[in-house]
Parts: sequence; C-alpha cells; structure tokens
Amino acid sequence: MTGASGQLAPASVHSVPEHASRALTDADRETFEALLAPLLTAAYGTALHLTRNAADAEDVVQEASLNAFRGFATFERDSNFRAWFFRILVNCVYSRHRKTRRHGVAVELEDSPELYLYCQTAAAGLHGMSEDPANALMSRLDEEAIREAVDALPTEYRVVATLYFMQDLQYQEIADMVGCPVGTVRSRLHRARRLLQKRLWRIAEERGITKDLMHAQEGEE
Amino acid sequence: MNVNRYTCEQVFARLDDFLDRELSAEEMQLVQGHLDHCAACAAEHRFESAVLADVRKKLVRIDLPAGLRSRISDQLLRLQDPPPG
Repeated sequence: MTGASGQLAPASVHSVPEHASRALTDADRETFEALLAPLLTAAYGTALHLTRNAADAEDVVQEASLNAFRGFATFERDSNFRAWFFRILVNCVYSRHRKTRRHGVAVELEDSPELYLYCQTAAAGLHGMSEDPANALMSRLDEEAIREAVDALPTEYRVVATLYFMQDLQYQEIADMVGCPVGTVRSRLHRARRLLQKRLWRIAEERGITKDLMHAQEGEE
Repeated sequence: MNVNRYTCEQVFARLDDFLDRELSAEEMQLVQGHLDHCAACAAEHRFESAVLADVRKKLVRIDLPAGLRSRISDQLLRLQDPPPG
C-alpha cells in the first residue's frame, strides 16, 4: 500500500487473522466464490502486470483469494466487493515486493511532454498520410509491445495504470484500492500515460516501425 | 473571456480528465462544445482516445491459467474445513 509519498504503508486489509475463517459457512463460501469468479481474470491480469511474472501472479491471486476469504466475515455485504478484493490483491503484491526487495525496471523519470505520440507522429509526417494516424502506429504495436511498455513503468505508476487499463475504473475507485488520495491517482495516472507513450515510441523506433511508416509515407508522395 | 466557451488552452489542460470522464457535467459539456468547433483540438482528442483504447484492448487480452480457478476453489474448501490433526 502506498501513501501520497509513494512509500509502502501497512497492509492492514492483507493481515487478516486466520481464525476469521472459522465462522464461515458453506453458504458464505459459495457467496464468496460467486463474487470472486467474475474478477479472477482481471485479478490475474493485474497481478501479472504488477509482478511481471506469471508464476508470481498466480501466487498473488491465490494468496489474495485466501486472505479475502479469511476476512470475508468482516466484508460489508452491501459494499463494493471488487474494490475490497483488489485492495487486498494490491496489498499482497506490495507485501511480496517488500519481501523480495524487487524494484522496478529503471526508467528515466524526466518529464515526458503531453501528447507525445501525437507530436512524434506529426513530426514524422504521419498525419498527412493517414486519416487515422493513431491507428497507423498502434496497429503495428502488438500486445507484447504494449505489455513491455506498461511493465517498464515504475511501481507506483504501474499500479494505477494497470488498474485503470485493466478495469476501466474511475480515479476514486483506484484511490480506494490503492489507499492514496484521488489527486495522487490522477497525477500518477496522467504521468504514467505520458511515460507509456514515450516508451511506446521508443519501442516503435527499436522495431523499425517508425522507419517503415515513414517509408510508406514517402512511397505515397 | 466568454465563460460559456473554453479556449484551446483550457481544453488542453482538461484533456486527460475529459478522456476519463472525470470532469463535472458542466466541464464535460464545455470541453465537448470546444471539440465540436475546433478541428485541431478535436484531432488531438481523437488521437489520445484511440491510443488509450488500443492500449486497453491489448492489455486485457489475458487468459486465466488453466486450473487456477479450481485450485483456488480447492484451497478455499480446505481453509474452511481444515483436515483433522
């Protein structure tokens, strides 16, 4: 859990006492599983981007599911199960992060300008050759490239960006899950998108995509 | 300044929040009103919106690993009824 400063905060929801499960009935488990089932794919996807490792992501989803079940007696039934569960999941990730002292891939954090891809594609002349310059570029960036760009974000940016992209959440929902002020979510998310665009352009350059696009443009002239 | 119209600068400052539907209803309307009449800002908005949609579409294409659902189910059952001893 991070606060506004980006420091890890105590994982209060994560630390559910084991005995909390003793009072749970079969009906509770069935209710819990019915609530959990539609979230599992998004939970795994989120965990995958946060841990950058398939085995770790599976472990995180299992751990979060068990912790949530242990604490299910404390869950207020008319509140948002998704927000509650993902808060536990994010706590599990941070908890592992602390244990392994795993740090994000180093990326430069200098300010990336707004509309980075828009400006780069305009400078490359793509806006004159295509009615849809965004699609001209993005259609050549595959899922692996997108994941690589997201995975390269520093942890605090990757957390909010992953929750935002994977689940199409409002800022307040993300703030509730991550446990930081909504203004922090807003600024991290906006900056994450700028960093993401910069990284995507670099990947496009590394893969020769920008060169191909410019050659295609020259061929049309 | 006409309070019923946003300038390009005002729209630019709100573009991210507009894309995320995080502005007030009045601000959403003011930004939309500007985009309806300003081709340059509309082009930027279209571009940003398309990039976000493409990233989202490609990121969510993840399959749950085979067996994970049933493993969790089994573990929940065991947690509820721990083996004797």
